[in-house]
Amino acid sequence: MSAVRCIDLCKTYRQGDQDIKALDHVDIEIVEGDFVCLSAPSGGGKTTLLNAIGGLDILDSGEVWVAGQRIDCMSKGELAGLRLKQIGFVFQAYNLIPVLTARENVEFVMQVQGVPADERGCKSEAILEEVGLGGLGDRRPAEMSGGQQQRVAVARAIVSRPTLVLADEPTANLDSKTSGELIELFAELNETHGTTFVIATHDQRVMAYAKRLVKMLDGRIVDDIDKRAG
Amino acid sequence: MNALKIIVKLAWRNLWRNHRRTIVMLSAISIGAWAMIFMTSLVRGMVNEMLRDGIRALPGHVQVHHPDYRDDPSIENLMNTTREELAASLLAAGIERFSARVRVPAVISSERESRGVILLGVDPKREAAIAAIGSRVTEGRPLTDVGDGGVIIGRRLAEKLETEVGKRIVLMSQDPDNEIADRGFRVVGLYEANLEIQEEAFAFAGRMTIQQMLGIGDFVSEVAVVGDDYRVVDPLLASVRLSIDGDDEVLPWTELDEYLGTMMMVMDGFVIIWVVIIFFALSFGLVNTLVMAVFERVREIGLMLALGMRPSSILGQIIVESFFLLAIGLVVGNLLACLSIIVLSEGIDISIVAEGMEMFGSASVLYPEMEMQDVILANVVVLVLGFLASLSPAWRASRYEPVEAITKV
Amino acid sequence: MNITLRLAWRNLWRQPRRTWLTIGAMVFSNAILVFMISLQFGMYELMIDNTLKAFTGHFQVQAPGYKDDTKMRQIVPNAESIATEIREATSLEAVAVRSATFALASSDDRTYGIRVFGVDPANESRVSTIPSLVSDGRFPDNRDAQEIVVGSVLARNLRVGIGDELTILGSGRGGSFAAAVATVAGIFDSGVIDMDRSIAEMPIGFFNDVFYMDDAAHAVVVVTPALALIEDYRATLESVVAGHDGVVLQDWDALQPGLRQAIQADLSGAFFMYGVLVVLVAFSVMNTQLMSVLERTYEFGIVMSLGLTPGRLGRLVILETALMGLAGLLLGALVGGLITTWFTYNGFSFPGMDQMAANFNLPSHFYPQVSLLTLFAGPAFVFIGSIISALYPALRVHWLHPVEAMRLA
Repeated sequence: MSAVRCIDLCKTYRQGDQDIKALDHVDIEIVEGDFVCLSAPSGGGKTTLLNAIGGLDILDSGEVWVAGQRIDCMSKGELAGLRLKQIGFVFQAYNLIPVLTARENVEFVMQVQGVPADERGCKSEAILEEVGLGGLGDRRPAEMSGGQQQRVAVARAIVSRPTLVLADEPTANLDSKTSGELIELFAELNETHGTTFVIATHDQRVMAYAKRLVKMLDGRIVDDIDKRAG
Repeated sequence: MNALKIIVKLAWRNLWRNHRRTIVMLSAISIGAWAMIFMTSLVRGMVNEMLRDGIRALPGHVQVHHPDYRDDPSIENLMNTTREELAASLLAAGIERFSARVRVPAVISSERESRGVILLGVDPKREAAIAAIGSRVTEGRPLTDVGDGGVIIGRRLAEKLETEVGKRIVLMSQDPDNEIADRGFRVVGLYEANLEIQEEAFAFAGRMTIQQMLGIGDFVSEVAVVGDDYRVVDPLLASVRLSIDGDDEVLPWTELDEYLGTMMMVMDGFVIIWVVIIFFALSFGLVNTLVMAVFERVREIGLMLALGMRPSSILGQIIVESFFLLAIGLVVGNLLACLSIIVLSEGIDISIVAEGMEMFGSASVLYPEMEMQDVILANVVVLVLGFLASLSPAWRASRYEPVEAITKV
Repeated sequence: MNITLRLAWRNLWRQPRRTWLTIGAMVFSNAILVFMISLQFGMYELMIDNTLKAFTGHFQVQAPGYKDDTKMRQIVPNAESIATEIREATSLEAVAVRSATFALASSDDRTYGIRVFGVDPANESRVSTIPSLVSDGRFPDNRDAQEIVVGSVLARNLRVGIGDELTILGSGRGGSFAAAVATVAGIFDSGVIDMDRSIAEMPIGFFNDVFYMDDAAHAVVVVTPALALIEDYRATLESVVAGHDGVVLQDWDALQPGLRQAIQADLSGAFFMYGVLVVLVAFSVMNTQLMSVLERTYEFGIVMSLGLTPGRLGRLVILETALMGLAGLLLGALVGGLITTWFTYNGFSFPGMDQMAANFNLPSHFYPQVSLLTLFAGPAFVFIGSIISALYPALRVHWLHPVEAMRLA
C-alpha cells in the first residue's frame, strides 16, 4: 500500500492581481518507508504540496489519499484526528509551544490523544533520549538552542509512531553541523522504524540522504529521481 | 480528561506569560469587584437601616386596620372587632408578637406651647415585643401597664414644648361624637429615636387610659404584627388574614408605606444596574486583553491545530484563560470588599450630613451590610457576562486556518 | 500636521481593534457620566427650587432661635416695616411677612392639629407657590378677611369644602386662649403629602387679630430672582437687619439644612461611583499602552539607536494616549449628549421613581438638560485619568536600552 497518493492536485493563490499556480496538476505516489525530498526554489510549490498531504490546506481540485484514506473531503474534526494519529509534523520554525517544557511539548500530542500519564512519561523520556536530549526535558523552548528545539520537534513528531512525517525546511534555521545531526536522526528513524519521511528542502545535504528526490518548479513536478534504482 | 488537563495547563501558563498585562487586568477586575460589593453593601446598609427604622415607626411587618383608616386615620375608623376578640383569634393562630393600639391625631400642650402629635394608646408589655419607637426611654420610666396614667414623649418634643419629666401636659383629641376629649397627663418618661422627626411625632400612653379618655370601650385603631424577617412577609400576611374576620384590612408594610416598599425595590434594581455598569466598563479591557493574547499567539494556535488539536479545544483554552483571569480578580475583589467592610464595621459616621440623610429617612451612622445574595449576584454576573465577552476572541482563535496561522509573520 | 502628531495618530491605527476597544471603554463610561451628571445636577436644582419656592424662600428675617424652636413668642417685632425697608433697599418685590402657629382646626365632624400660617395676600404669591396651587376656590385677597386656605388632604380629612366653616383653636402670643371661625376660601394641592395634610393659611391681618400678634410676625421671607444670585443680595439684607434689634438673617441653607446635606450625601455616593468608572477606564488605557510599548521594543530600539531620546518616545506614548482620550471624550460627550437629549424630550423615569421623587419635592418624570458643564465634566476626568495611567508605560521607555531592546525582540 502506498503511504501517500496525490491525484491531479491544483491550487491557485491570488497575490496582488496575479494568479500564482502553487500546484498545477500534480500527481505523486509515495510508498511506505520511503525517504522523499521535495526540492524547489521559493514559490515552487513544495510547501503547498506538503500542506496538502498533511490536510492543512484546502485544494482547488484533486484527491489526496493518506494511509488508504481520502483526506481532501474530510471535516476539520476528522482531519485533526488523522493528524493526531497518522502524521507527524516538523516545521521550519516556531515548532514548539512556548509555555510548555520540552517534555510537555513531546507529550502534547499524546495528551490530546488521551494516552495515560505513565505511558506518556515513559515514551517521552525514551524519545528524548533517542533524539539526544536526555536530561533536558524540563527546559522551556526559550532555554534551548535552535538545534535542540528542532530535535524536540522531531521527538514530538515521531513519539506516537506516526506512519508519515512531514517536514518543511527543518534545517533552514540551523548551522551545518546541527543540520547534519538532524538529518542523520531522520535517516536513522526511517531505517529503524520504517517511518515514511517527506521533507521539503533546498538544503543539498538533506537531499544527499534522500532515497527519492522530487524536483518541482512553478507548481509542477519536473524531475523525479529514485536513487535506489540508480 | 487528558485534553481538558492540557487545556487548563496551557490556559494557566499563558495567563502568566505576559504578567504585566495580566496584573494590570487583574487589578482592574479586582477593583471592579471590590467596588461592586463594597458600594452595594454601603447602600444596602443604609437602606436596610432605613427599612428597619421605618418598619419600627409604622410599626410592624403587617398591620390590621379598618378599611378606611389609612385614608382617614381618625377616631371614626376604629376596627370592627374588639381588642379582646382580635387578640384571642391571633393567639389561636399561633401569632404571639402583636400589639393592639389606639392611634389618633392629637394636640399636646404644655404651659408654653402646643404641637400636633400622633397619640398612641398601647399595651407596654406587648409593645416591648415589637420594639418600636418609644422603647428607648432614656429619662424617667417606661410605661408600666395598659392603665398607666402617664405619658412618654420624645426628647425633641419635650424641648419644643419646654417641658420635662414630672411636669404636666394636656392631650386633646376628638371622641367619636366629634366632641373634644382632653385629659391631663404627667410626663413620666422621654424616649430617643434614630430620627429627630420620630422624636417629635409620637406620644405614648396606656391603652385603657386612652380608651377611657376617648370613650371607645375596648376598640382599637390598629393591630401591628411582627414576624421573623421583614423581607419574607407573605406567610405572616396570609396567616393574619386567615385569623382576622372579613371587614378589616390586613396589609404588609410594603403597602403601608409605599416609599419604603419602593425603596426596597429600587435598591434591588440599583444593585443590578451598578454591577452591570461596572462589568461593562471592565469588559472592554477584558476583550482587549484576550484579543491581544490571541493575536500574539496566532502561530502557536496554528501549530496546535496542525498537530491535531481540535478547534473546540482552542476555543476552550481561551475561555478557560478568561475564566482564570476573572476568577482570580473576583477572589481578590471579594477579599478586599470583606476587608474594607470589616474595617468599617464600627459604622461610618456621616453625621455632618445627618439632616440630609434624614430627608432620605436614614440615620447618621452608616453600617455596611454585605448580603450573600448581592455578593452572589455580582460574582455570577461577572463570570457569566465575562464568559460571553470572551466568546468572540475565543471563537476567532479557533477559526484560524492552520497554514495561514503558522505562516503569519 | 506636525510629524510627531502624525506618527502618534498612525501608531494608534496599527492595531485598530485594540484602539477601538480602548476608546469604546472611554465612550461607554463618558456617556454614562454625561447622562448621570446631567440628571443629577438637574434634579438637585429642581429639588432646591421646588422646596424653596414652595415655601421657604431664599432668605428669612427671624428672631434668633426661631428656626429651631418655632415658638410663638419668638417674633419679629415690626415685620411690616422691615419688609418695606428690604423692598426699598434691594428693589426686590418678592418680600412678604409671615406668621405661624400650631392650632386645632375643627369642622362639624372632625378635629385635627395643624400648622396655621398668617400670610400677606398681596405678596405671598411672590414668595411661595401655594397661592398658585389653589385648585379649588381662591386665595384670599383681603388681609383682614376671615378666611382660610387648607391643603387638599386636610380638607378631605376634615370633610370640608369651599364655603364651609372651620373653628380654629390655639394659644395667642402671650399664652392666652385664642379662637376664631374662618370660612374655607380655597383648597391647595401641592402634591407633597406632608404639606397637603398639615398646613393651612390665613390672611395675616386676621391671623394677627386672632393670635394677638399686633404688628409682629414670625418671619420676613425674601426671594431673589435666582438661587445663583443670592450672594448679591446678602450684604444689603444684612445691613437692613443690622438696623433692628432681636432679628437675624437666615439663608435657605440654614433654614433647610437637610436639603444641602441630602445633596452632599447623594453626591459623595455618586462621586464614588464615578471615581470607580474613571479608574477602570484608566486601567484599560494603561493595559493598551503598556502592550503597545512592549510590542514596539524593537522599533524603539532602532529609533533610539538613531539618537531619539527616551523622553521623546515617552512623550509620543503620552500623545497617542491623549489622541485616544480626545476621541473618547468627544465621542463619549456626543453619545452621552444624545442620550440625555432624548430624555430631555421624552422624560426619564424608573419604576418607583414617583414614590421616591415625592419625598424630595420632585416630579415623577424628569427631563435632564445638557450643559457644557455636564457634557464635559465627567469626560474630562476620564481624560485626565487616562493620561495619568499612560505615565507608567511612557516611563517604561526609559528602561529600554537600544541594544538590549533590539536583542530582546
